[in-house]
Amino acid sequence: MTTAEDTRRGAGHRPGRDPAPAGRRAWRGETRWAYVFLLPWLIGLLVFQLGPMVASLVLSFTSYDLIGGARFEGLGNYRRMLEDPKVARAVGNTVLYTVLHVPLAAVLALGLALLLNRVTGRAAGAFRTIFYLPSMTPYVAVGVLFLFLLNGQAGVINSFLALFGVSGPQWTTDPDWILAGIVLMSLWNLGSTTVILFAALRNVPRELTEAALIDGAGPWQRFRSVTLPMISSAVFFVVIVNTIAALQMFDQVYTMFFGSQSAQQTSGDAALFYVVYLFQQAFQYLHMGYASALAWVLFLVIAVITLIQVRVGRRFVYYEAEEHPG
Amino acid sequence: MTTLDRPRGPAEATRPADGVGRGTRRVLFLTLLAAASVIFLYPFVWLVVASLKPRDRTFADPFLPWPAPFAPGNYAAVWDAAPVLTWLVNSVVVGVAAALAVTLSSAFVAFGFAYFRFPGRGVLFGSVLATMMLPAAVTLVPTYLIWNSAGLTGTQVPLWAGNLFGSAFYIFLLRQFLLGLPRYVFEAARVDGATYLDLFWRIALPLARPALIIAFIFELKASWFDLMKPLIYLRDPALFTLPRGLKAIVDQFYQGGDPKWEIVLAAAVITTLPLILVFFLGQRHFVQGIATTGRRG
Amino acid sequence: MVGGGFSRGAGRAAVALLVAGAVTACGGVGSGGGGGGGATGSALTTMGFGLPDEIASVRVDRFKKAHPEIRLTVNQGQFDEQAFLSAVAAGDPPDVVYMPRERLGGYAARGAVQPLEGCVSTEGIATGDFYPAARQQVTYDGKWYGVPEFYNSIVLVVNDKAAKDADVDPKSIDTSDWDKLAALAEKMNKVSGGKVERYGFNPKLPEFLPLWAKANGADILSQDGRTAHLDDPEVAEALGYAAGLIDAQGGWSRLKAFTDTFDYFGAENPFVKDQIGMMLTEQFLVSAMAGTTPDVKITVLPFKDRQGRPVNMIGGNAWVIPAGAKNPAAACKWIKMMTEADAWIAAARARQDKRAAEGKVNIGTYTGNARADQVIFTQIVKPSGHAAFDDAVATIRSVQDAGFVVPQSGAAAEFTRVWQDAATRVLQKSQKPGDTLRQAQGEAQRALDDAGN
Repeated sequence: MTTAEDTRRGAGHRPGRDPAPAGRRAWRGETRWAYVFLLPWLIGLLVFQLGPMVASLVLSFTSYDLIGGARFEGLGNYRRMLEDPKVARAVGNTVLYTVLHVPLAAVLALGLALLLNRVTGRAAGAFRTIFYLPSMTPYVAVGVLFLFLLNGQAGVINSFLALFGVSGPQWTTDPDWILAGIVLMSLWNLGSTTVILFAALRNVPRELTEAALIDGAGPWQRFRSVTLPMISSAVFFVVIVNTIAALQMFDQVYTMFFGSQSAQQTSGDAALFYVVYLFQQAFQYLHMGYASALAWVLFLVIAVITLIQVRVGRRFVYYEAEEHPG
Repeated sequence: MTTLDRPRGPAEATRPADGVGRGTRRVLFLTLLAAASVIFLYPFVWLVVASLKPRDRTFADPFLPWPAPFAPGNYAAVWDAAPVLTWLVNSVVVGVAAALAVTLSSAFVAFGFAYFRFPGRGVLFGSVLATMMLPAAVTLVPTYLIWNSAGLTGTQVPLWAGNLFGSAFYIFLLRQFLLGLPRYVFEAARVDGATYLDLFWRIALPLARPALIIAFIFELKASWFDLMKPLIYLRDPALFTLPRGLKAIVDQFYQGGDPKWEIVLAAAVITTLPLILVFFLGQRHFVQGIATTGRRG
Repeated sequence: MVGGGFSRGAGRAAVALLVAGAVTACGGVGSGGGGGGGATGSALTTMGFGLPDEIASVRVDRFKKAHPEIRLTVNQGQFDEQAFLSAVAAGDPPDVVYMPRERLGGYAARGAVQPLEGCVSTEGIATGDFYPAARQQVTYDGKWYGVPEFYNSIVLVVNDKAAKDADVDPKSIDTSDWDKLAALAEKMNKVSGGKVERYGFNPKLPEFLPLWAKANGADILSQDGRTAHLDDPEVAEALGYAAGLIDAQGGWSRLKAFTDTFDYFGAENPFVKDQIGMMLTEQFLVSAMAGTTPDVKITVLPFKDRQGRPVNMIGGNAWVIPAGAKNPAAACKWIKMMTEADAWIAAARARQDKRAAEGKVNIGTYTGNARADQVIFTQIVKPSGHAAFDDAVATIRSVQDAGFVVPQSGAAAEFTRVWQDAATRVLQKSQKPGDTLRQAQGEAQRALDDAGN
C-alpha cells in the first residue's frame, strides 16, 4: 500500500543504478525477459491470490458443504453473521485482544530494547538472544506450555503470585480471565518486536542525543524528542504488523482451547477468536460459504485498519533516508 | 501479572548516569535486566524440567530448576505413544522444501524487479507489497478447494508447493539486497555474452547468499511453526508435522480424558528443540533479517 | 512473530497442474508428498483407532490371522471430526472408522457414512447379540450405520476416606435425595484460601447433563430424534441443581482447573491422593484403578434417579464405513471380527491373564456385545478378593439394563454441541439455566429441522 510507494520512491532516487539508455530493440528484449522473471509471481498472484479472493467472494453468496452441491443464498451468509452471537463474541474477543496486545507488546518491547541498548559489549548479543528465544518456540508448544503455566490451581504463575499472598485467577477456565491469560502468554513472545526496535535504536546517531544533552535536555525530553522520532518508523512498522497478526490469532488459542470436544467445553466462547471461528465453520462444519463471508469481512476490516494506520503513521513517522540492507 | 509492571521501568533506566543516583540507577538497570531474563527463560526451564519428571510430580515444586525425581523415561514413552520421529522427519522435509521453494522463486522474481527497467514495474512492485497485507484467512477456503479438486488434500504437497511462486515479503527483501549490488558486475558479464539466466544463476544468486540464507531460515521457521495448514490438509498421522502431531497429543493426553502430561511436555520439547538449534546456528542471519524487516517503515 | 506473519500471508496456494511444471522449472524441490498409494482390493485402512492394550491387539491379531490376504494399515490416533469429513469430501476416505456412537446420526443424514444393511447380511453379523441401548445408538432412520464396540456405563465412585470424614457409610450413599446429596457434597468438599484440596462431588457437567435430566424424569430429545426438549422445566431444574452443586463447592473455573491436574489413570489418581470425594464416571476409570491401584479404598454405587431407580447413560464407540470407502467388503469383515462375541471373549481372557500375572485386579471388559459379556462375567472374571472391586463388578453389571442413550438424530453433533454450550454457559455463570436452555432449544430445534429435510 503506501509502503510500496515509499520504497519505490527510494529505489528511484538511487543514482547510478538504472541501466544505461539502450536502443529500443534491446529495451523490448529486456522487457520480455523481465516478465519471464516475474512469471512465477504473476501466476501466483492471479491463480493463488486474486483468483481465490474472487472465488471466495462468490462462495460467500452460497451455501456449500463440499459433500453436496452449492446453493445460491444471496446475502444470506452476511445477514446470518449479523445475527450469529458467536460472531459477535469472536469479534469482541479478537478486538479486545488486539487492543490489549499491540500497545502492550510495543511498549514492553521498547522497554526491552532500551534495556538492551544500555548493555555494553558482547553481553548485548547474549541478552538479545534470551529475549528472542521465546519467539523460536512453535506456537503449538507455546500453547501447551501455557496451559500448564496458567493453570489456576497448580500452575507456576499462580504459585508465584501465592508467594506474595495473592490468590491468582483461574486463567484457563474462568471466562473472565481467559483472555487476560492469552494476552499474558502473547507477551512472552516479544522477540521479533524487540529485535526490530533494538536495531532501530542502534541506528540513532549518537551525535543527536549528545547534542540534545548539551542543549540541556532531560532524559525524558531526549527520549521524547530525539530517540522516539528517530525510531518512529520502526515502531510504526511493528504496530502494523502486530495488529495484522493479532487480528488473525489462531495457533496458540486453538491449541489450548479448541480441537477436541472436551477442550471446547472448558472455555465456552471465552477464547473464541475470529479466525478460530472461521476455521471451525470452514473445516469442522464444512460451511464453506459462511466461512468465505467471514473471510471477506476480515479482509475488509484489516484493509481499512491498515489504511487508517498508514494515514495516521504518515503524520507522525520520521522517515530517514533509506539504506540498503546487507 | 508481574510482567505488566515492567513498561515504566526501562524508560527510566535509559537515563544516562548524570547527576545523582548513578549507583541506584545501575542497580535498577541490572535488576530489570535480570528480571526480564528470568521471565523469558524460566518457562523453558520449567518445560524441560517438567518433561523430565514423573507424571505425579508435573505440577509439584514449580520453582525447582532441576527434575526431581529424574524421569528420562518420558522421552522413551513419547516414542511409544506417537510416531514422533516420523513427525520430526516430516517437519524437516516439509520445512526444507518450503524454504527452498520460496527462496529460489522469490530470488528469481526479485532479480526481475531489481535488474530490469520495464513498463509497469512500479505498479507491479506495488502490488507485491500490497499482497503482504493480504490476510491468509481470506484465501483459506478457495485454496483448500483448489487443492481438493487437484486431489492433493491428505498429502504434504499443499504445505510447500504454494511457495514455488515466490512470496511478497522475500521478494521485497531480496530485491532490496540485489539493488545494493554494483551493477557493473552484471554489465561486464553481459559484455562477455552471458544470458539473463546466467546473470541470475551465476552472479545474482551467489552474491545474494546472505539474503538467501535469511529468507531460507525465516521460511524454515514459518513452516516449522505452521499449525493451520497441516490441520487442514493432513489426515494420516504418519504424514503429520511436529506441530500437528503435538496438537494431536494435546487433544489425546491433555484434553482427551487420558491425562499423560509427561508425554505432552516431552513432545513439546521435541517440537521446540530443533528450531532452537537452528537459531543458534543461524543467529546472525536471523537477527540481521528481522532488523531489516523493520527498517523499511 | 513478524517474520512468521508475513511469510504466511503470502504465496498461499497453487494449482496441481502448475505445481508439476514449476517443480521442474525451479530446479526440482524434494517432495514430501506421502500420497496414499494405490488402494488395491486387499488393502484396509482404519481411522480413529489405536492399539493401546491387549483388548485391541488381541482382536486385531485375530483378524490378521483370519484374513492374511488383507493388508491392514492402522492409522493410530483419536477420531478427529475435521480430518474425517475432509477425507470424505476429498473422496479419499479410510475404509473403516472408529468414532463415538453419539455422533453417528449426523454423518448418516449427511451421507458421509454408509448404511450397513448389506454388510450385516453378507457377513452375518449377529445384531441380536448387542445390548438394546447400543443397538439404538448405531441405527438411524431404521438402518444400521455402525456396529458398537464398548458399552460404557456411568456409576458413582466414592472415596471411602472422604465418606468417613463426612461421617457417612459409603455404602449408604443414595443419590435419589438431592438435598442430602448436596449437603454431602459440601461436607466432603475442602477448599482453603482459593485452593481446592478436595472436590466433594463432581457431577460431571456439561457432559452428563442428559443423565441429570433423566434422573429428574426428563429426556432432552424425543425418541424419534426430531423434537428437542431442552426447554422442559425438569431439564432446567436438573441443570440448575447440578450446576448449583459445583457453585457451592468453589465454582466451575476453580474446580475445572483443579480436575485438569488429576492424574486419573496413574498410580497417584485423585482417589489415592484424596483429591475427590465422589464422582460420576464411566466404569473404565474403575477398571483402570483396578489395574494400577488395586488397594485403593473406594465404593462403586449405582447412580439413582429421584424415584430411587438406577439410571445409566450409555456411551462408547462404533465402527462405521465412510461413503466412498475403497474396500467396504474388507471393512465389513473387519467390523464383524472386531465386534463378535468370540473376539471379545478372547480379548477379555487375555486381559484377565495379564492382570493375574501382574498381581493386579481385573473387573472385566464391558463390551457392547451382551452374549460376550455373558461369558466374560460368568467364566472369565473371577472374584479378586478385593471387595471394593468385586462389588464394583456387581454394581456395574446391575446398572447395564438401566442404560439409556440420547436418541440418534440427523443433527447429532450440533445437538450435542448446543446443549453442552448451554450447560457451559450456566457453569460460567453467564446465563441462568432457564434462559440458556430456552436459547439452546431454539438452536437445537433449528438444527434438527435443517437436518430433517
